[in-house]
Amino acid sequence: MAFEYAPLIALLPLASFVIALVAGEYLPKKGGLVGMAATGGSLLLSIWAMLRVASGGFYDETLYTWVAGVGEGTLSLSFGLLLDPLSTMMLVIVSLIAFLVHMFSLGYMNDEGETGLPRYYAGLGLFTFSMLSFVFADNLLMAFMFFELVGLCSFLLIGFWFREDAPPSAAKKAFLVTRFGDYFFLIGVVGILATFGTAQFAGEGAFPQLAEEAIVGGETLFGFPAGTWVTILGLLVLGGVIGKSAQFPLHTWLPDAMEGPTPVSALIHAATMVAAGVYLVARMYGFYALSPTAMAIIAFIGGFTALFAASMGVVKDDIKQVLAYSTISQYGYMMLGLGVAGYVAATFHLMTHAFFKALLFLGAGAVIIAMHHEQNMWNMGGLKDEMPVTYYSFLAGSLALAGILPFSGFWSKDEILYEALIAGLENPVLLAAYAMGLLAVFFTGFYTFRMVILTFHGEPRSDHAEHPVPLGWNTKIPLAVLGILATVAGFVNMVPVAELTGADITYLSHWLDSGPEQLAYSTYTATAEEFAHIHHAELTPLIPGAIALVLALAGAGTAVALYRGPHPVAHTDKLGGAKDVLVANYYQDEYQVWLAEGLTQRVARGADTFDQGVVDGVVNGISSVSLLGSGRVRRLQSGVVTNYAALITTALVVLLVAFGIYGGWF
Amino acid sequence: MLAPTQLLVPVEWYLVLSAGVFCIGLFGVLTRRNALMFLISVELMLNAANINFVAFSLQWGNLTGQTFALFVMALAAAEVAIGIGIILVLYRNFRGIDVTEATTMRW
Repeated sequence: MAFEYAPLIALLPLASFVIALVAGEYLPKKGGLVGMAATGGSLLLSIWAMLRVASGGFYDETLYTWVAGVGEGTLSLSFGLLLDPLSTMMLVIVSLIAFLVHMFSLGYMNDEGETGLPRYYAGLGLFTFSMLSFVFADNLLMAFMFFELVGLCSFLLIGFWFREDAPPSAAKKAFLVTRFGDYFFLIGVVGILATFGTAQFAGEGAFPQLAEEAIVGGETLFGFPAGTWVTILGLLVLGGVIGKSAQFPLHTWLPDAMEGPTPVSALIHAATMVAAGVYLVARMYGFYALSPTAMAIIAFIGGFTALFAASMGVVKDDIKQVLAYSTISQYGYMMLGLGVAGYVAATFHLMTHAFFKALLFLGAGAVIIAMHHEQNMWNMGGLKDEMPVTYYSFLAGSLALAGILPFSGFWSKDEILYEALIAGLENPVLLAAYAMGLLAVFFTGFYTFRMVILTFHGEPRSDHAEHPVPLGWNTKIPLAVLGILATVAGFVNMVPVAELTGADITYLSHWLDSGPEQLAYSTYTATAEEFAHIHHAELTPLIPGAIALVLALAGAGTAVALYRGPHPVAHTDKLGGAKDVLVANYYQDEYQVWLAEGLTQRVARGADTFDQGVVDGVVNGISSVSLLGSGRVRRLQSGVVTNYAALITTALVVLLVAFGIYGGWF
Repeated sequence: MLAPTQLLVPVEWYLVLSAGVFCIGLFGVLTRRNALMFLISVELMLNAANINFVAFSLQWGNLTGQTFALFVMALAAAEVAIGIGIILVLYRNFRGIDVTEATTMRW
């Protein structure tokens, strides 16, 4: 059996979308069970595809050509599937989390008596379909189309409670901010198609390969040296990545997106949709590895975002806000990893983060159910004894997020920092990015444990915290599954242990190095070294790992020391003016609103005035002259036959006289 | 085909006559308000043209001009038939045949 059934991975959730939309009202659980069945089917098929790939299979087929080029040098646009180690791994992650989120939604949405559930499950189904299709897309244009569809589903699901004020506004913000980035992505896609005549990721004549040949051949593309042009295209596509993966300066939509239902936050804004940006860079890594500038920018933005977002997470009081900023920060790490040619490290963190962040969001969702939809951590406290399953799984996720041995986040984050350090020792820009990433480790430990202590420890600080609502199986099972994964997922690539014992246990590296050579990790590293000049210094991973671990423990320890005890105090108030800046998110929203209202709107007004006044004025002027003139001239049409006859006679006489004068009769 | 002959009355006089008849017709068209007088005036103008045809035909000894005059007469008869029809419709619609009254087809 070959890969013929692979398209079903995405089509099953599409079917659940249609079913939930059409017949959701009449189905048990309003379409929730159909969604679970569909995503469960996708999960099984994804695992099967992954096993096929593991046993040496590889699939890169065009399934449907919707624009067929005729003749030489014309474009063909198509849909197709690319199943390689990277995409099948991502398919499993996305479908697993979608499945668990569907299950959790039964507890979070159905049991809470929400209305409009068919719409909710339809949204989840469409989202899962788009994300899975994006993941196995075999060309950049198809990836772009599903990237946009993912953004649309995000809009629909964030704005699920559209009767309230905040969610629709947050949905619009998410849509517009990501769209701003996608605008550059679109130009990049068109640029790549125009330059290389193809948008295929893999195979003979794929665009990264053509770009490499152009650079080696010293060609000139569109008036630029090939290297410069590749950088320009890469940065344009990176615009979409920055928007979707919530990197500075387009990160502002993600914290607001927490207005959506919590399972949606887990699915979209933690584990999968935000991952789309990072995944895209990994997917076309052969292209980015050609450009030193693009790589340095990716690394620097990533390092900066990691620190920047982590610092804001320190002062938030809403449990979901803390998680939102931690998400931005963690995706910053992945970008850092990609930018320093740490392809495996970034992919590794993408995987572990998907598990532990989905876990943390679902855990927060469980807490929010228990607290009657209270999200302020200062009204919680003491939940540890009342909800042990949630507490221990949440704790596992927190340890992973903070990067503490031996939880999954430690291994992946440590590997990213190690890669950044060894690349940074050869390049000061990358070293600065590393320094920011390292500093963010402390903040991560701090805000994570501040959140854990405030939520679960101490005395209950409200009635709801004293008597939380008991949870059902449908919330506990996803938490338990993800809790185990968040704990053990890191064992697939323990680089420091491999270094220490000499055992060959870096399974993920081997996994990403299998498959076709063109998409293999070692090829990417070699390309990055040759073209992007990213060289790796010789260094044992143990010492940098120890430094990161000590910083994480210090951060966590500080938080525990400050906030433990039955009645914790808001220590962040002591930060004074700095806290105001942090609570206001560095005035990023204000400055972006100013950019929109103060600058863009004024420019638009000016352009409008120019358009209405000058461009339209000329046209209107011409038309009013002819209107006025014809208003006078039409009086000739008096309707009296005699006048016409007189006019004709007069004209004839005038004509005769004129001919006479010019013809010289007189 | 007749040979060119010396006319008893020189051709210029015919032309003057023709021009006079034509101007009378034109004057009628420009000043009269009665549609029937229009038709009569138009007949005058056509016949002024006929005089020219016949005069020149005689001048050059060429029968074509006279044949043309016959055609013009047939045409004038047809035109009168149509003209009378128009005048009838005019009368029905405007209760009169004053051409200055029928001014609905204007701006």
